[in-house]
Amino acid sequence: MRYGGEGRARLLLIILIVTSLFLITLDLRGVKILDGVRNGTQNVLAPFQKAGSTVVTPFRNFFSDVTHLGRTRNQIEKLKADNARLRNKLLERKSADAQLTQLKSVLDLAGKAGYKVLATRVISQGASTSFSQTITIDAGTSSGVRPNMTVISGEGLVGVVKESFLNSALVMLATDPDFKVGVRIAGTQQIGILSGRGSKRAELQLLDNQKIVKVGDVLLARGSTNNRPFVPGIPIGVISAVDSSAGSIAQSATVMLYPNFSALGVVSVVLNAGKNNPGDALVPVAPQPTPVPTVTIYATPTPSASAK
Amino acid sequence: MLVRQFSISTLIFVFVFLIQESVINQLRLPGGGFSLPILIALTWAALSTPTVGALTGFISGFFMDLSQSSSGAMGHWTLLMILACYAVAFLGFGNDNLRGNPITNIILVSSASVLCLVAFVITGFLLGVSTGSFSRVLITILGNGIWAFLVTPLILPVVTRLHRALFGNQAHI
Repeated sequence: MRYGGEGRARLLLIILIVTSLFLITLDLRGVKILDGVRNGTQNVLAPFQKAGSTVVTPFRNFFSDVTHLGRTRNQIEKLKADNARLRNKLLERKSADAQLTQLKSVLDLAGKAGYKVLATRVISQGASTSFSQTITIDAGTSSGVRPNMTVISGEGLVGVVKESFLNSALVMLATDPDFKVGVRIAGTQQIGILSGRGSKRAELQLLDNQKIVKVGDVLLARGSTNNRPFVPGIPIGVISAVDSSAGSIAQSATVMLYPNFSALGVVSVVLNAGKNNPGDALVPVAPQPTPVPTVTIYATPTPSASAK
Repeated sequence: MLVRQFSISTLIFVFVFLIQESVINQLRLPGGGFSLPILIALTWAALSTPTVGALTGFISGFFMDLSQSSSGAMGHWTLLMILACYAVAFLGFGNDNLRGNPITNIILVSSASVLCLVAFVITGFLLGVSTGSFSRVLITILGNGIWAFLVTPLILPVVTRLHRALFGNQAHI
């Protein structure tokens, strides 16, 4: 460059910048060939991501343990599984016996709703530097996974299939800033729109002010036409704070989403929701504290001891 | 950059891209983790001429755009990385005080990495990319800066050796 090539260097820089601007323009105009390039890349990457997932799992747990200040991943997973099992058991006792016999697993949320689901493994998490919240699962079009299918975990709604490839699929998490889902409040049936905010807390905008929402109200997915992208009745989260600012047209609230998005290992894609709407049947029941028995001990001094 | 050097550089960045997508993204590092393609491209550029820096940015940015988890438009990262790598190479080119000092290089690369993300957020905002709440963006950028400061010293010797093997004795670290 220092030997008379400055002009060429500048020309090269301009060509590169123009090329990138050309790519941006094509992408914003929705040219399909660029999607094809990205899809092809994902198809190539999927086997590497699967292999990487297997190799990285022990290290992932190590970093997670450090983050959680010494609590081990296995203990957390076991407690979560126990908690989910107990919550589901309590729910089943209140449900009809006929519904109870149809349940194959107390941990299977989709089983209770009668959904046909496909269990998949999370093989990759989207890069946080892109500011999107996505995961990649190890099932794709070859397993019947299509875009706009609901993805759930044992705790509730995880997200929706954004892109589907041959043996993998990209899932937009409920925490993604672009994520929006129609919801209703269990019990009052009040409806609203939930938007992701990039963290486990999401934002709820209610469509009217007729009924007052309160902290602790449970949100369920309202469902979409033909159950795509959302099947009805899936638990989403619980209201953790209500914005009671005077003069607002519609009520808004902060919602704590049910799933733990940082520890997603296995999720299920709802392939077919059937025709039954589970209504409020999937509302998780808060665990009841076990009463501690009180033991009263009466001590009577023996006559021989008092004589001495 | 000769065709041979360009081809080998591309292969290196393909490998880096694979490592990022199949290993680093899955570690779920606290604070949002780091982007290996950004750090290696910036380190590579810091040792190169501005022309090579711009080409390096183009290659690495293009691979970052190919990632399914990239929320920006195709070409978004390419544009940013061309400019960032060119700027880093331009700052270091001909300045042995800057290029010959590992600490200066680490600070330069870490700062450039943070500025890349800030530029991504700002340009993404103009292009309609959702980046989440302000606090989340801030945590990701700060976390990335800290990770860059920790990781760059580890990759600097490797990148320097690779760069020296490919481009001769331009790197002095």
